[in-house]
Amino acid sequence: MARSLELDLSGQRSFSTLISLAARLLWRDWRGGELKLLSLALVMAVTSVTGIALFTDRLEKALVLESANMLAADRMLRSGRPLPKEILIEAKTRGFQTAETLSFTSMAFSDSSNMLVSAKAVSDAYPLRGEVIIADAPFVRGTPIASGPRPGEAWLESRAFPALELKIGDKIYIGESTLRVSHIIITEPDRSSGGMVDNAGPRVMLHMDDVAATNVVQLGSRVTYRFLFANTEPEILDDFSLWIDEEFNSEYRLRDVRDESAEVSEALSRAESFLMLGSLFAVLLAGIAIALTAKRYSERHYDYVAILKTLGCTSNQIAAIYLMIQVVLVLVSIGLGSILGWLTHAGILELLQTVLAVDLPPAGVRPYIVGSLTAIVCLLSFALPPLLALRETPPLRVLRKDISPEKLSDRMPYIFGLGGSVLLVSWYSNDLLITFILLAAVTAIAVMLSGFSYALLKSTSSVGMKAGNSWKLAMSAARRRRKQNVLQIMVFAITIMSLLILSLLRTDLISDWQAQLPEDTPNHFMMNISQSQIEGIEEFFDENGIRGNAFYPLISARVERVNGKDPEPQGEMGDGGERTTLAGGAETREIEEGSAKLGREAEVEGEEVRGRLSRRQVTWAAEVPSDNRIVEGEWWDESASPGYVSIEEEYAGWLGLEIGDSLEFEVLGQQVSAEVSSFRSVQWDNMQPNFYIIFSPGTIDDLGATFLSTALMEREQKVLLNDLVRQFPTMVVIEIDGLIEQVQTIIAQVTSAIELIFFLVLISGALVLLSCVNATLDERFYENAILRTLGAGRRLILSSLVIEFATIGVLAGFIATVGAEASLFYLQERVFNQSFDLHYWVWIAGPLAGMLVIGALGLNSTKEVVRVSPLILLRRIS
Amino acid sequence: MPQAMIRVEKLCKSVPTTEGVLEILRDIDLEIDAADTVAIIGASGSGKSTLLGLMAGLDAASSGDVLLSGHSLASMDEEARAILRGQLVGFVFQSFQLLPSLTALENVMLPIELKGENSAREKALQLLNRVGLSERAHHYPNQLSGGEQQRVAIGRAFATEAKILFADEPTGNLDTATGARIVELLFDLNKEFATTLVLVTHEDRLAKRCGRIVRLVAGVVSSDEKTSHEVDKKSVR
Ligand SMILES: Nc1ncnc2c1ncn2[C@@H]1O[C@H](COP(=O)(O)OP(=O)(O)OP(=O)(O)O)[C@@H](O)[C@H]1O
Ligand SMILES: [Mg+2]
Repeated sequence: MARSLELDLSGQRSFSTLISLAARLLWRDWRGGELKLLSLALVMAVTSVTGIALFTDRLEKALVLESANMLAADRMLRSGRPLPKEILIEAKTRGFQTAETLSFTSMAFSDSSNMLVSAKAVSDAYPLRGEVIIADAPFVRGTPIASGPRPGEAWLESRAFPALELKIGDKIYIGESTLRVSHIIITEPDRSSGGMVDNAGPRVMLHMDDVAATNVVQLGSRVTYRFLFANTEPEILDDFSLWIDEEFNSEYRLRDVRDESAEVSEALSRAESFLMLGSLFAVLLAGIAIALTAKRYSERHYDYVAILKTLGCTSNQIAAIYLMIQVVLVLVSIGLGSILGWLTHAGILELLQTVLAVDLPPAGVRPYIVGSLTAIVCLLSFALPPLLALRETPPLRVLRKDISPEKLSDRMPYIFGLGGSVLLVSWYSNDLLITFILLAAVTAIAVMLSGFSYALLKSTSSVGMKAGNSWKLAMSAARRRRKQNVLQIMVFAITIMSLLILSLLRTDLISDWQAQLPEDTPNHFMMNISQSQIEGIEEFFDENGIRGNAFYPLISARVERVNGKDPEPQGEMGDGGERTTLAGGAETREIEEGSAKLGREAEVEGEEVRGRLSRRQVTWAAEVPSDNRIVEGEWWDESASPGYVSIEEEYAGWLGLEIGDSLEFEVLGQQVSAEVSSFRSVQWDNMQPNFYIIFSPGTIDDLGATFLSTALMEREQKVLLNDLVRQFPTMVVIEIDGLIEQVQTIIAQVTSAIELIFFLVLISGALVLLSCVNATLDERFYENAILRTLGAGRRLILSSLVIEFATIGVLAGFIATVGAEASLFYLQERVFNQSFDLHYWVWIAGPLAGMLVIGALGLNSTKEVVRVSPLILLRRIS
Repeated sequence: MPQAMIRVEKLCKSVPTTEGVLEILRDIDLEIDAADTVAIIGASGSGKSTLLGLMAGLDAASSGDVLLSGHSLASMDEEARAILRGQLVGFVFQSFQLLPSLTALENVMLPIELKGENSAREKALQLLNRVGLSERAHHYPNQLSGGEQQRVAIGRAFATEAKILFADEPTGNLDTATGARIVELLFDLNKEFATTLVLVTHEDRLAKRCGRIVRLVAGVVSSDEKTSHEVDKKSVR
């Protein structure tokens, strides 16, 4: 006889009840294994992203530091005139380390001989980055020292010793001062960062305080002043750069190593892009793993929530409970993942110590932030939607199993997931192009799949399980789980695609670099050679076992008219800056234009355009230079008639030229006209003579060219330079062996960095594949358990599973290959400045690898189904 | 006139299907007093589970209303219904619906914990003892037989001393002997706690244990009669 019942219908549960409930659920879920996968995925995500970010961070810092050695500083300011002291003072107040150097060409005298040397005076703090390697005997390996000579002392390069008949302790005379020779310079960090002034003879290094006494440097002397700056904070460096730009109206520009060497700049930015891409994929893969496990987790919780609701839990309380669980998950996995990430990276470092060519500076906090944010964003975008959808589970599900919340919010997870990925990728790469390429690739894969696999799997639609033979069984299984399989193929495809992109990029980058600067790259340039000297020089090389190369005629020319009209350059050239090659570009201009202008470094934009139009070092040749490729038109044949010219493609584009145009040149005061017969692509970064303009033989042969050649001289052969210069006094030798060595070192380091990141992403990719296979295990398990109880044999089930997984693998591999090639096309052409070629073998290897890997993984994860007794199986799933 | 524990007024339920609107229940009127025991019987597909679900507030009706202890379900949203369920209602299902990741004990503790009561563990142990499973307290559902699982479910249903107990074919998955024992247990506890019991069944034997039998045919109540039990019970008082 119920009187009106006293009911508390407010539904208020104290916060502590909710928390303790959440804690209990969390604990029981964990114990029951439900949460393990999700938290494992989270911890893995944080671990891999943090680990890879730690590596990337440290490698990048190391590369920047290492390449800073080329400048002996992080930033450098260069001028032909003394620099204003305010800059130095400002730098000091901003907390910079600073140093100064002053380079000039001078005669050096010993008691018995003399020679032209490139002198360099340095202040106490020099070098700010890197070390000078000195020795007490010429031509040995030497030991590093982090300073220059003390006042009153001079250090000389090895080959100056025989030339000046010197030994350690002797006196040398520069201008009006006397210095004591105390050490031999084997290398100096910024040896290559000079123009002609630094490369015109062996180095003599002295202290800044001794310069005045020499009385060599006077107004109008050809000298180079340099200020060196070092600071470990990139932002402070950039701020300072801006300050100088504003304060001095772009009269002075702070330069970094990228301004100094196109090769290093290219290698560094490619490495950075690659590392970034690698970590991006790590983030993406982590996201996929989380999405998959979260989906599985929430699917398993439908019943849970339905029962909780019949027991009186409201949707809001359920949301609160799952939110709390997530917060705990995130915190724990961030903590654990950060530690594991650090450990992983430390462990791998330990393993790789011998192969890794770089000393790694300590990492900052960014990697940990990256790892944590990844976990949070992934969880918010991939895991939250399905978990929140749980709150919508209708309690009626306890009576009718077919009711699940999916109907209510089917698209939500995708929108969230997509938003989350875009956010992560763009935040991480800070690069809209890469973000766009990646998302386009992923979207394309999704679209391709929805159509393609759907059609394929649907093609033979028939009823039943087809349990007769394993092939039919597998196909009908694949069809039945079509929706699931399409999703799975997509995940596989994206994972395989990521790995393919990275591995192909890595291979291409490394082989590019190897081709760019092979071991036998000529490391000395000889210029200003007259026709009559060629024979003598070749003889000299032969006698001394030096590997010489072809002699290129070199003459200065200017495009005056295009088809009878004034040339109209089309804005900037594609590449923006002046080519910093050693010939054909700006460097040689110094020789003619004398001391007034120090080549590329003194130019400002406007002048640069005119400079390009006004003067070019041109050549003529019978054959296409080996690194060049004809992209349009035709090269002249053997019996070429004079009057043709071949133009570099970008330069041609800049001038708006077409094949067949007639050009008028001014060559050393004479008019020459020629017809454009071909456009060429040129490898600017190979440190070899390259030309914008090449004439056909006979066109300008008699106009008074000088010649240029290159040679490979080993360290111990360098002393021969003394004889060479003595025999051919008018010749100018530019020594780029130091530069090449430095670039090769940096590239070797970049290479090992790339290998490392590739390796790490490979591991996380494998883990995603594994978790994806596991994610669909439940249903397969159930079906196969039932098949076994119905009497299907072990072999039938196993082979049908293998066939099903292998088919999925082939499809995923194929789609991944298409996606990878398409992304690579854009990445290589737009981001990495490489030319894209189809990788034919991948079209076979991709699907094959997909088949093998996924077949094997699938088999490995499902083989239990035939090992355990059907009774146990059925109990486990019920 | 005392207020009915459950009052069903002109209850209709229809669902849209691909072949048009399917009317599952039509104009159901019922009144069930506190501590009554009612069996709902009928052919498969006649709408028994649907009616039970609606009475328990697991789903919303298309029209009409259900009042539980005077609270109108039609005026409530799912949130409010959930709260009411927590206060008033317990369940026993054909497929047990235990949480697989919880032990028997924890399954029984769950509704007590949800209510925020402190003595969850002792209470749950008592109940497990009452259903004869105290030695299996720490076993997981998949380590228990069907009958044992259903006993745990019954323990859970009484854990919060709910005023109304809904049972959907509680013996449907069990053999006759086990079913009989479960039925004993259910009715014993029902008497002990003076619970209002509504159960769906197609077993005559079980239906006859109830004081009242409501027969559904194609979504309408075709008969509603008191059994001898009810007469006994009334006469005892
Ligand atoms: N959400 C729904 N969508 C479509 N049809 C439904 C839905 N809910 C119930 N039905 C249909 O309504 C009818 C009644 O279902 P209900 O589950 O109530 O039957 P029942 O009497 O419990 O049968 P059984 O004894 O077999 O359990 C059935 O034909 C069922 O298929
Ligand atoms: Mg039913």
